[in-house]
Amino acid sequence: MTEDRLIELIESWGADPSAFPEAERAAARALLAANPARFAAAMAEARALDEALARMPDVLPSAALTEALVASAPKPKRAGGGFRLPKFAPWAPASGAAALAAGLFMGLMVAPTASADSDTDDVQALLEEAIGYDPAALSEGIVE
Amino acid sequence: MAFSSDLDQITRAAAGDPAAVRALVNRYSPGVLSLATRMLSDRGEAEDVTQETFIRAWKALPDWEPRAKFSTWLHRVALNLCYDRLRKRRESLPGELPDLADTRLAPHEALDQSQRVRAIEAAIGALPERQSAALTLCALQGHSQAEAAEIMDVSVEALESLLARARRTLRAHLLEGSQSA
Repeated sequence: MTEDRLIELIESWGADPSAFPEAERAAARALLAANPARFAAAMAEARALDEALARMPDVLPSAALTEALVASAPKPKRAGGGFRLPKFAPWAPASGAAALAAGLFMGLMVAPTASADSDTDDVQALLEEAIGYDPAALSEGIVE
Repeated sequence: MAFSSDLDQITRAAAGDPAAVRALVNRYSPGVLSLATRMLSDRGEAEDVTQETFIRAWKALPDWEPRAKFSTWLHRVALNLCYDRLRKRRESLPGELPDLADTRLAPHEALDQSQRVRAIEAAIGALPERQSAALTLCALQGHSQAEAAEIMDVSVEALESLLARARRTLRAHLLEGSQSA
């Protein structure tokens, strides 16, 4: 640590050696203690500025600014709100099949009975397969 | 020290936790506002910079990686926004050199505390911007040398040089003012 370097430190970091760079702090303190008169003027000037700066009031945000900053932040994700995709309903395919079967059944009931027997048998079989019982039997009241 | 709790609060704030958001605002907005106020010498502009800084912070939170302290990152964003505004000011006044504000007190003025404060504020605001930033970060806000250097993206040696010039200018200006009073 040279005298010139110590002057530089005082002029840069102020009169408090604890503000000096750590690597040079101990050597600077030792030199200051060894010859305080040599650095008294530099220390006094630096101290006056340090004290003037220390008297500067804090700059504090207003309540309005604080609220504006908070309001600009990300919002919490709401558990129940917003658009949601419909969930998969396991009964949906079954209801579709039931609707299909009901449509076929009604169509058969109101269709002209003069259609070909072979076609009627085919439709009958298809219906039985779709709804699980013979609709003709139901219409005759024999389904258990 | 505040590093891990920062990370916890950042994570919660990113998820929209109001308490964490408010904690980050309360902890860091004074420093950001103070830096911007000293740099710009204009409270309204400083508040705008503070808001813009936090908007950028909120956007960055979900992807935040703790490579740097949140405080350091936030102050760097604020400082760069201040530099941008100061550059725009210069560009809007082409051909004009920045004048040092006259911070000297008139002879009839008493050197009361509020006048001293105003004189120092004006003198800091009149410093070249990087000197003003160095002085504000180190002497007024108490950032460590490493933090201040990182915020300013300069070496500690360069920071020291900026501080020395800032203090020399400030001292001379204020000394001149007090002698003329």
